[in-house]
Amino acid sequence: MGAEVRRRAAGGRIDRDQTLDFVFDGRALRGFAGDTLASALLANGVDVVGRSFKYGRPRGIVGHGAEEPNAIVEVGAGASCVPNLRATQVELYNGLEARSIRASLFQRAAGAFGRLLPAGFYYKTFMSSPGAWMAWERVLRHAAGFGKAPDGADPDTYDRMNHHCDVLVVGAGPAGLSAALEAAGWGARVLLADEQSEFGGSLLAETRALGGDSAAAWLDGALAELDASGNVELLPRSTVSGYYDHNFLTLVERRSDHLGPVAAAGTRERLHRVRAEQVVLATGAIERPLVFANNDLPGVMLASSVSTYVNRYAVAPGKSLLLFTTNDHGYRTALDWHRIGREVVAIVDARESPAGGWVAAAKEAGIDVIVGHAIIEAVGRSRVSGAAIASLQANALAGTPRRLACDLIACSGGWNPTLHLGSQTGVKPRWSDSAGAFLPGDLGGGTVCAGAVAGTPTLRGCLEQGALAGATAASRAGFGSGRTTRSAPEVDEPPETPARSLFLVPHPKRVSRAPKQFVDFQLDVTASDIELAAREGYESVEHVKRYTALGFGTDQGKLGNVNGVAILAEALGKDIAEVGTTMYRPSYTPATFGAIAGRDVGGFFDPERHTPMHEWHTSRGAEWENVGRWKRPRYYPRSGETMQQALNRECLAARDGVAIMDASTLGKIDIQGADSAESLDRIYTTGFRKLGIGRCRYGLMLHEDGTIFDDGVTARLGEDRYLMHTTTGNAEVVFAWLERWRQTEWPELSVYFTSVTDHWATAALVGPKSRTVLAKVCTDIDLTGGAFPFMAVREGHVAGVPARVFRISFSGELSFEVNVPAQHGRAVWDALIDAGAEFDITPYGTEAMHVLRAEKGFIIVGQDTDGSMTPADTGMDWAVRRNKPFGFLGDRSLDLADHLREDRPQLVGLATDDARTVLPEGGQLVDDPECRPPVPIAGHVTSSYYSARLSRPIALGMVKGGAGRMGETVHCPLADGRVVKASIVDPIFYDPKGERQRV
Amino acid sequence: MFRIHCPHCREARSEEEFSYAGEAHIPRPVDPSSLSDSEWGEYLHTRTNPRGPHREMWVHTAGCRRYFNVLRDTVSYKILAVYPVGEMPPEQGEA
Amino acid sequence: MSEPPGVVCRECPDRAFVNVRGDVGDPRLRDAVAQVAGVDLPREPGTWNQADRSRAYWLGPDEWLLVVEGDDGLEVEGRLRSALDGHFSVVDVTGTQVHKELSGPDVGKVLQKSSPYDFHPRHFPPGRCAQTVFAKATALVAAREDGAFDIVFRRSYADYFMRWLADAAAEYGYRLD
Repeated sequence: MGAEVRRRAAGGRIDRDQTLDFVFDGRALRGFAGDTLASALLANGVDVVGRSFKYGRPRGIVGHGAEEPNAIVEVGAGASCVPNLRATQVELYNGLEARSIRASLFQRAAGAFGRLLPAGFYYKTFMSSPGAWMAWERVLRHAAGFGKAPDGADPDTYDRMNHHCDVLVVGAGPAGLSAALEAAGWGARVLLADEQSEFGGSLLAETRALGGDSAAAWLDGALAELDASGNVELLPRSTVSGYYDHNFLTLVERRSDHLGPVAAAGTRERLHRVRAEQVVLATGAIERPLVFANNDLPGVMLASSVSTYVNRYAVAPGKSLLLFTTNDHGYRTALDWHRIGREVVAIVDARESPAGGWVAAAKEAGIDVIVGHAIIEAVGRSRVSGAAIASLQANALAGTPRRLACDLIACSGGWNPTLHLGSQTGVKPRWSDSAGAFLPGDLGGGTVCAGAVAGTPTLRGCLEQGALAGATAASRAGFGSGRTTRSAPEVDEPPETPARSLFLVPHPKRVSRAPKQFVDFQLDVTASDIELAAREGYESVEHVKRYTALGFGTDQGKLGNVNGVAILAEALGKDIAEVGTTMYRPSYTPATFGAIAGRDVGGFFDPERHTPMHEWHTSRGAEWENVGRWKRPRYYPRSGETMQQALNRECLAARDGVAIMDASTLGKIDIQGADSAESLDRIYTTGFRKLGIGRCRYGLMLHEDGTIFDDGVTARLGEDRYLMHTTTGNAEVVFAWLERWRQTEWPELSVYFTSVTDHWATAALVGPKSRTVLAKVCTDIDLTGGAFPFMAVREGHVAGVPARVFRISFSGELSFEVNVPAQHGRAVWDALIDAGAEFDITPYGTEAMHVLRAEKGFIIVGQDTDGSMTPADTGMDWAVRRNKPFGFLGDRSLDLADHLREDRPQLVGLATDDARTVLPEGGQLVDDPECRPPVPIAGHVTSSYYSARLSRPIALGMVKGGAGRMGETVHCPLADGRVVKASIVDPIFYDPKGERQRV
Repeated sequence: MFRIHCPHCREARSEEEFSYAGEAHIPRPVDPSSLSDSEWGEYLHTRTNPRGPHREMWVHTAGCRRYFNVLRDTVSYKILAVYPVGEMPPEQGEA
Repeated sequence: MSEPPGVVCRECPDRAFVNVRGDVGDPRLRDAVAQVAGVDLPREPGTWNQADRSRAYWLGPDEWLLVVEGDDGLEVEGRLRSALDGHFSVVDVTGTQVHKELSGPDVGKVLQKSSPYDFHPRHFPPGRCAQTVFAKATALVAAREDGAFDIVFRRSYADYFMRWLADAAAEYGYRLD
């Protein structure tokens, strides 16, 4: 059938002046602006748009929106290819390339043996012989799924935007538009979102008049009014994908997909994060299909979809229509079809005596209405060519089936409210007998449902209810009285006969023997599968879902779930209300990873924190180490140097000459108040009360369970003022820890904490010549050992800038840590470098810092400790004062029986016997290398380096009972099979008396 | 994503500004050294973990950095009350 | 001439920043700040005061950020310390802070892209300030009478922040002054 036959000459909302060329499965086709890919395919006579998931059966377009289960396509190619799109939601653009999701050969073969693949087939097959799963998994995984992931980095950009509004209206159909108008009229901040390119929802295909005018005219008026209002934001092409706690919702806005495969400028998709005071759900309803044999044949469609294609897109997807309905509303599709001059073969109505206004209109138009009948089977090979109908009395067939010829079957089994978003909040939908449908549950005071989603059947009713919802929501958000200010337009609403509930059409053969009666098209779940699940003892709808895959597709069962639940209820002999539905989860329709990631990719994935000297390090070719979010120089290779050579050079400079390190990243907390010392005494294992002004002390910070979580040096700056240093990675954790105890347990203490980490730039000047270098740029501090001893702090000027200089050392050498306000950091650093030039001052990074401190046996919290170690485990009892008036945090836990065990892992030094091999960090230590598994583990290596100063490898490790095993041998098996022998030694490898740092 | 009223900033803010700080009303024993290992262990590790109203501590990390208490239903996730550290939840008493 | 940019970011240099903590009910604290910086400490949460060259931003119930144009942080700290009495804390944090001014017709959209806080003028009129999440860091944002916003953030995040702002504002046209 050619395009000219299916596209009507006039009508619809397409722009016939803008023709668009596109390619589907390699075929060059043409459509118009305003088409979806689905409407253009139907206009071009493309019947088969894919093969089914499990059986490989040919499938055609069923719906016209988010519910579409069959027309799942890939659009674009290569890196910008987007899989898993519904053709009904893809806007056509010039040059669009789309492909159907092809069933694999495996699936086609499965289709030929369909009867051999009942529900639970894979489960039963592979649970009985698990080995078979191992063999088949790759084949099956390859065969399963829809589409292919793109094969390169996404060239598009995505972003996020936050919103706050008084009223979020979801859905811009008649109810949603009325709600937005009313809420905006009261002055509320309104956000109106709709997943379609055009606002209007069902009005876009409405043929009736609203208030004496066309639906299109009313719509234009409403949109103009909203546009002119200063407090409404309109978001078309925006799917509300998730409804989370406390009225937080996510919207995915497609900003460029209607223009081309890659956004020319700006962002392709934007994730809107909306915090709404009130939410109006006006999400409408999706027509319920009817379940009969071979109901998946291309040419079987939803009645409302046929009407939408006819009225909105001017496409007639067939020649001769057979309508199968359980309600009056479906008659409108036959009337639409009749109006455009096409043949209506008959209306097959499952009810005995329909008598409503639409029914009368159909009879008046001369359409053959066959009451008390049902279509029991669709006939055709790759497209409907006819249907078998039979008399349906109660729930049984009567008489002999007869066949009617047609090429299009439109089905209307009633309506399923689109209640997914409400369900996402965790509120179960409830079954309503009067509506014959599930309706949203009680969503609480922050949500109002309006229109078809609330079960409202008529257009006039939706308009009225929408307005009331808008007024109610605005009022709850503090705007207006809750009364509506405008009357809904008049709409011709003829009386309707009650609908009949029909969830499974009987077949002359029993369900398990009849041709397949599909419930869930996307995952090929049939009525027989559900009955089988019930027979096999499944009762919970959630279990049946997982056993049969009902509703497990990317469409989340938008079409099939309710029929499936009803069939299950029937099989179990229960009420539908008792069986209930499964819960829906975000996202309403599939969302791209791009939209979720937003701009937090590449250089924005994790912020980098830079010190004031960052540019200098960059200019010196530093290799970087990430410490928390900080970028710290790891080492500074000179040309031709290996990392080890650079390390050796940097370490020897610190030991023999002068070296300099950027230590700005260390956490720094200013502590003021009369109870500063008391606070420190409670937080740290050490005592600070008697620390002299201008002096520094090392402290260990413990959790209440006695384990070490931070360490550092604290200086007393004045009578009631201290400066605490924390480890780089823990700065914010420690700051919050201090505030926590001050605010929650010790509000009586007069103390304030202020983070000054970013305020100070710190240069650690290290080595025997550091004093000489510093003296060149610091003249107002007496740097001699007598005046400025080890573990002291002095204030003065360095390079003309007010500075605090600490004589503390993490290297064991003579060391001055120069602190200046960060805005002067670079200048002072440069001055120190200049001053040190004559002594070949050497910048060193974190790697050399690690070697230097390991030579001294200084631990790094988080590297040598793992969150389970006490001060005693690390040999640092010397830093613990147990007799304070107020026991410090963690004090009591040091006496727990388990913490006193002799065989706890304890910090030791490790010296490899060959004096050549550097043990791997993390390497496991065993006592007996010949032992067969399971091998008892004696400990592990925590730090390990080659020491240039000592000309041999050094390592620290945790060994069970290690403190009592000095001189003993342990073995470290390596990944390559070698076993390295190491002796347990004192962890202090260099200058054990600590004389060098005190000179 | 919760929306939490900070009693110090006196307005509702989004959850990403806050950090959870554990169950509230677990006072530190006045004299830890007088407790047995198991009594101390109770303080360290035992939490009520209720189904329903739960008294918990939050801190406004990205805002005013102040701690406060929240009474939150662990089933509905509704926040039933926000109240200062050192006080009992309103109308709940020793819930 | 090309289109005027939707967002303009301007550096606000030469300012002293001092973190002040104390009891707002203590007149000695308020008087000392008024005497030294000429500005009243705001008592209302989430607000800021301006007087001549000084601004005081509410950070918490006992914490403020004092900004004095054309002054030295250490000196302001020293003057405050001399004027104060009782339980308080004053700390020069000039090195910590980077202060930018964001203006332009699309500045609101850039804020919406960056923070979950509601910067709509109905909720955040001139005189309001808030510390909040900003991109993947935090910032102090204040609404000014002229429709522009003051943004104060930590120096170590400056590179990230400026890249983020430029990227977020690119679609509206961005100028860095």
